[in-house]
Amino acid sequence: MARRRVSWQVWLRRIAQAGFAFVFLYVFLQAEYRPINRTGGHVKFFFLLDPLVMISSWLASHQMASGLLLSLVILGLTVLFGRWFCGWMCPFGALHNLITSLRKGTAKEKIATDGYSRWQKANYYLLGAILVAAFMGINLAGWFDPFAFLYRSATLVIYPALNDGAAWIFGRIYQHDPHIGSFKVISISEPVYEFLRRTVLSNAQPYFYGTVLIAVVFIAVVLLNLYRVRFWCRYICPLGALLGVAGKNPLVQIKRKEDACNTCRVCVVDCQGGADPEATERWKPAECFYCWNCQSACPHEALTFSIRVPGGKE
Amino acid sequence: MNLPAPVRWLMHFFRPPHAQGLDLRRRSILVAGAAGVGSVLLVRTSAQGEGRTFNPALIRPPGSAPEEEFLSKCIRCGECMKVCPTNAIQPAISEGGIAGLWTPVLKMKLGYCEYECNLCSQVCPTHAIEALALEAKQKIRIGTAFFDRNRCLPYASARTCIVCEEHCPTPKKAIWFEEVQVMKPDGMPTTVKQPRVDPELCVGCGVCENKCPITDQRGVYVSSVGETRNAKNQALLDSGLGYGGE
Repeated sequence: MARRRVSWQVWLRRIAQAGFAFVFLYVFLQAEYRPINRTGGHVKFFFLLDPLVMISSWLASHQMASGLLLSLVILGLTVLFGRWFCGWMCPFGALHNLITSLRKGTAKEKIATDGYSRWQKANYYLLGAILVAAFMGINLAGWFDPFAFLYRSATLVIYPALNDGAAWIFGRIYQHDPHIGSFKVISISEPVYEFLRRTVLSNAQPYFYGTVLIAVVFIAVVLLNLYRVRFWCRYICPLGALLGVAGKNPLVQIKRKEDACNTCRVCVVDCQGGADPEATERWKPAECFYCWNCQSACPHEALTFSIRVPGGKE
Repeated sequence: MNLPAPVRWLMHFFRPPHAQGLDLRRRSILVAGAAGVGSVLLVRTSAQGEGRTFNPALIRPPGSAPEEEFLSKCIRCGECMKVCPTNAIQPAISEGGIAGLWTPVLKMKLGYCEYECNLCSQVCPTHAIEALALEAKQKIRIGTAFFDRNRCLPYASARTCIVCEEHCPTPKKAIWFEEVQVMKPDGMPTTVKQPRVDPELCVGCGVCENKCPITDQRGVYVSSVGETRNAKNQALLDSGLGYGGE
């Protein structure tokens, strides 16, 4: 079976994911002393959009940083349109999406593994535990909140490693001073390093305590994407669970043309959320990331997303 | 039923979760709640809990809320660690007990709290570190410096050293000297300036500890006692914060 062309909705999603990943990178790099006592950009952007941060810190402290009210926009859009945030906007989700696409296996094998699993309840359990703990005054959301997880891992592990790696490479080039004829490599490498240090690298090499644990957990979470599609998003992410609860009756619903579908279940392959898109009545909106992969994959164009009131046929 | 669509949509929210496409039943919700209660009880009954023991290494960034409130707000995102220009803010491993894992603490050996900087309070998304004007932040005490007289050079070796006093950033320096006649190793008398800390002026920034030339175990160090955010963790009875505050 020839692979169908990827639909424009999927491309639109990929562009959105790349865009928001870039925004994350940008605000991450803005959190730096360069060289005045003001941070550039909106360094808290993703945290202020995070309803889990908003609800857990409000439950635990009975106070709210006013900026966190911005997350109500995301919550409202989720109630209306479902858990699209995970598929389109979350930068951590974009990373998982990228890694998970490197997964090996035939379509047949993927049909067997990519559908809904009972273990997808796990993140709802985690969400419940976090909210109850927050209600009792201790905010544990940060251990599992995707932005806190990503930002922490980036700050403590990835960024220091990047800085060290750059210093090592450019330092070696400078030391050995290689040249091709009369052309010296450092005449290029030094300005490049200088530029990087002014833009993306840190003023000084950062060091942190206890990075091994954070690195191991981060790498494990990333590699688990090779075992199951978007492992973190499906089984762990408590923000995803919160958005699932909020977006369980979305107005954008999947619809199957019964006469076009031959139940080949190709739509299940690469379903990001494990939402079982193959049948309107089985589809689980709380698990759907609106990635449009199912619609794109269907060889008979039997699946469409359309605006519909849930439970309409009562 | 022939209800209008918006009403039908709203009614959908009042059906049980499993009828709304969420694979959750009452038992799973109860299990999750019990796990939450259990983890809080486990954390709360730790000996490192608030008000029981005071960890000298639990030095929070300036503007941090009192510990209990801090733990209710901090999401351990690491923004403060990323932005700290001196690399002083570090993820706690055990300093704050299990509930404090990966929350920010200052390690003065790696960095110090720059007097002219309040970036950590600017970036904190949940106001666990309260956003303060620089002038207000400069009056906040995050700990107090102490001299280790067995290691500080003018005390231990009868040598002159004024590094800590030179770096002390407060308008009136919190480190002052007492000129003392001591004996050199060869038995000859000499005069050295022995540094002392004025705990009323010290803000606990830790630049003294950071710059101390005794590189491994410093001759001066900061501990959390005296921190503005905690009325109980006070050494001075007349600090206005502690038990005897008047």
